[in-house]
Amino acid sequence: MKILIADDSRVMRQIVTRTLRQAGFGDHDLVEAADGQETLDKTVAESPDLVISDWNMPEMTGVEVLRKLRAAGNDVKFGFVTSECTPEMQQAAEAAGAAFFIVKPFTAERFDEVFSPILG
Amino acid sequence: MSVEVVVNTSDLFEMVEQVWVSYLDPEGVNPLIPTDEEQPSDVHSSVSITGSWTGHVVYASSTVAAKKAAAAFLAMGVEEVSEEDVTDVLGELANIVGGNVKAMLPAGALLSLPQVVLAPDSATKYPSAERITELYGLWEGEPVSVSMWQSRNEMNKEETA
Repeated sequence: MKILIADDSRVMRQIVTRTLRQAGFGDHDLVEAADGQETLDKTVAESPDLVISDWNMPEMTGVEVLRKLRAAGNDVKFGFVTSECTPEMQQAAEAAGAAFFIVKPFTAERFDEVFSPILG
Repeated sequence: MSVEVVVNTSDLFEMVEQVWVSYLDPEGVNPLIPTDEEQPSDVHSSVSITGSWTGHVVYASSTVAAKKAAAAFLAMGVEEVSEEDVTDVLGELANIVGGNVKAMLPAGALLSLPQVVLAPDSATKYPSAERITELYGLWEGEPVSVSMWQSRNEMNKEETA
């Protein structure tokens, strides 16, 4: 499977990658995006099976990317990894069609719990 | 409108402890030990919050602790850590703690992008803001601190509410 990791922080992309590996998902094909526009473009161009996205990114927020994808009929599995977790953000994510919401800091156990049903 | 700040030192400690458990001390062998004494710092990072609460969240540490944090975050040796690595990791630490603080505030708060200063936290001044909460700790003997600065306008609002 192909996973797109979208975060404007190089450190966080690296931590997400490492945590995926620790949770046993290291064999998947990993692609990265560093802002909202790149996330949208790569999701269309690379057709990943899963998008793990930050919320606050330059160019476009993660939830705006998700709304654009859904408006264009793209139903890729898409969820958020963010340090901000307010009830209104969770509701906005859910309403936009997000599959999960992970709060930073996160552990490999949390990744396993969320991604096992998706990645098998 | 009166906005009561609900983030105290023990809340800050819980957030920071999660960062240690998740990234800096996953084995649980080198936790951050809280101290009552103010700790000096060499470097710091901050995010601003505006809206339902207005102020700054500041993460500060010694250079050694910042390098160790960067090494742990980026899975590399401390001797390989570059200044860019330290800067990026300090920014991410402020972002994580600031995001967690924001989650405890009333709805309608906005988080800024992080700012990193490779100088002691005393080098940055926050005009019209007052330090309201602070957490000091030692990580393998190295100083680490997190503080919250609240806008005085915000405090005046509370007093007159």
